[in-house]
Amino acid sequence: MVTKSVDLRSDTVTKPTEAMRAAMATAEVDDDVLGADPTAARLESEVAKIMGKEAGLFVASGTMGNLISVLVHCDIRGSEVILGDNCHIHIYENGGISTIGGVHPRPVKNNDDGTMDIGLIEAAIRDPRGEIVYPTTRLICLENSHANTGGRCLSAEYTDKVGELAKKHGLKLHIDGARIFNASVALGVPVNRLVQAADSVSVCLSKGLGAPVGSVIVGSKSFISKARRLRKTLGGGMRQLGFICAAAFVALKENVAKLEGDHKKAKVLAEGLNQIKGLRVNVAAVETNIIFFDIVEGSKITAEKLYKKLEEHGVLVMLEGPLRMRIVLHHQISSSDVLYTLSCFQQALIGVQEENGN
Amino acid sequence: MVARTVDLRSDTVTKPTETMRAAMATAEVDDDVLGADPTAFRLESEVAKITGKEAGLFVSSGTMGNLISVLVHCDIRGSEVILGDNSHIHIYENGGISTIGGVHPRPVKNNEDGTMDIDSIEVAIRDPRGELVFPTTKLICLENSHANSGGRCLSAEYTDRVGDLAKKNGLKLHIDGARIFNASVALGVPVQRLVQAADSVSVCLSKGLGAPVGSVIVGSKSFITKARRLRKTLGGGMRQVGFICAAAFVALKENVEKLDGDHKKAKELAEGLTQIKGLKVDVAAVETNIIYVDIVEGSKITAEKLYKNLEEHGVLVMPKGLSRMRIVLHHQISSSDVHYTLSCFQQAFTGMHQEIGSYSISTSRDVSYA
Repeated sequence: MVTKSVDLRSDTVTKPTEAMRAAMATAEVDDDVLGADPTAARLESEVAKIMGKEAGLFVASGTMGNLISVLVHCDIRGSEVILGDNCHIHIYENGGISTIGGVHPRPVKNNDDGTMDIGLIEAAIRDPRGEIVYPTTRLICLENSHANTGGRCLSAEYTDKVGELAKKHGLKLHIDGARIFNASVALGVPVNRLVQAADSVSVCLSKGLGAPVGSVIVGSKSFISKARRLRKTLGGGMRQLGFICAAAFVALKENVAKLEGDHKKAKVLAEGLNQIKGLRVNVAAVETNIIFFDIVEGSKITAEKLYKKLEEHGVLVMLEGPLRMRIVLHHQISSSDVLYTLSCFQQALIGVQEENGN
Repeated sequence: MVARTVDLRSDTVTKPTETMRAAMATAEVDDDVLGADPTAFRLESEVAKITGKEAGLFVSSGTMGNLISVLVHCDIRGSEVILGDNSHIHIYENGGISTIGGVHPRPVKNNEDGTMDIDSIEVAIRDPRGELVFPTTKLICLENSHANSGGRCLSAEYTDRVGDLAKKNGLKLHIDGARIFNASVALGVPVQRLVQAADSVSVCLSKGLGAPVGSVIVGSKSFITKARRLRKTLGGGMRQVGFICAAAFVALKENVEKLDGDHKKAKELAEGLTQIKGLKVDVAAVETNIIYVDIVEGSKITAEKLYKNLEEHGVLVMPKGLSRMRIVLHHQISSSDVHYTLSCFQQAFTGMHQEIGSYSISTSRDVSYA
């Protein structure tokens, strides 16, 4: 029997569509280092326009987008950046801003909703009068949607408040907008309004939007000029990259409309999982396409065992701890995949719950 | 009249072929960060096999290939790398090994043939007894073919001698092999033999081989494992990267054999250019696909004026100083492009000579245009 495969590990697993492959095969390209690749230039302009910023730059990954942005804003020796203690830059980017960029991080507690208390951010800003022993705060980073808290959305109002705080202290604001379109769709707020207060944004095209590769960073013309040079230094200066950009263009045009469907499916799946005795999901916290769920303490099963059982049925999820797992929906997961997943969970958890279930 | 374009600025301008586009459209792909993209894996294995190393890693550029290699070998604080004072890593990579990687460079004079004197390299190796004031030498880098000296080839024997020196002193050897295939073809020596002494090599697929994007670094399994992690840190961890690798695969299969043609055209163009009064080319030094052209001293023509004149005729070259220019041949430059280029140079000089009356108009031989 052929096992069905439902890959819920991440929205990065999305495979390019036929339209993307066709666009790649016919893309107009040129040497983007010696001059400008026309397709790359078109994509960068389009994303900049959508984001309401002056210019854009295509980069190989979200990690590179964030690394470049932090390093360009934090361009003096002894720079410090304020960011969430549970944000992607701090947890999943190999500490590159420090090991590669020499920038010091000042992590501030992330609340369950992905925000950081404004008061705590302000308290973390270094007083210049203490400069003999302090680094120099240069930048605040937000992440929207915030992955590790479950794909939570930061409102435009909250973002603006952080932006004002940054301005008041002469700091820049960068938004890790890997899933900014998810946030925009979930909140019903246009992307450019969401990121209005930001000096720069890093936007992933290879996640929910489904492109094979890449992100685009946006900001002022002078920011992007410096970013381009740093991108070259890091080795991200690709030649005829229009191919990749052509696929990313299709992603932008076709797949933003599908994000809402992902959010609906996430809600359906979250509600279904929460009904299963032995599992617990904070359904109200499922705002976009990410679900964190816990195995109820006292259950006779571990996350690792459950993970293996699911894998046997072709359902792939992400382990996040001894009793915690993560699921990410994307446009290549169908409603029937969702139902199949639920039934696999139900089967896997029969007999391991604290009391006999339904 | 539609101007013809002959782009001789670099072999990076090569546009992908129809076969490459077809391969990209049908490539089998997967998330190369969460698991392994099958096409990327096939390419990496193939390049490793061709170069005789254990494993490979696809990277977005030669700069990234060199940066990762240097940083992986120079993994302790206070590392130093010995490299040519006219090498690509030292001149054209934004000083990234230092600004990004914290590694100190120790440049040694590059000879005109692309080598560094073995003695000079040896003298540059830091004596551990001086460690209180010295950084720690970890690595020697060679570049083959050597771009800035004119695409010059390092022999297998020379490379082996540098390798022996490295081993004797407990150092690693990295070869910037952006154009290693050009060197291999020009010398008539298999790539594997050329890089035998190296611990790692960075091989460009986007230059003369004509792929749209990328390089592959090769080395031991443990080196590549560390390289993969550093690649992610630099932001080079791409997802469904197989598309780009599919095009690179085609480049590897189809375009190595075209390199010999590029070298022949380079020789022909070099010989033609040196016949033009006012220009000087060291034809014997043209070993691969790169030509450096000097404007003879005393001539009132600047490289910049000549460059603009050529540009008006659609011929693009790279200015390299007040009286120097660089030309790079690649497989999308035809023989007729070469003749057109020669005639543009001749016309440019004739026109400018008439303008300023510095030289006699006639060239020393008749060139027939195919």
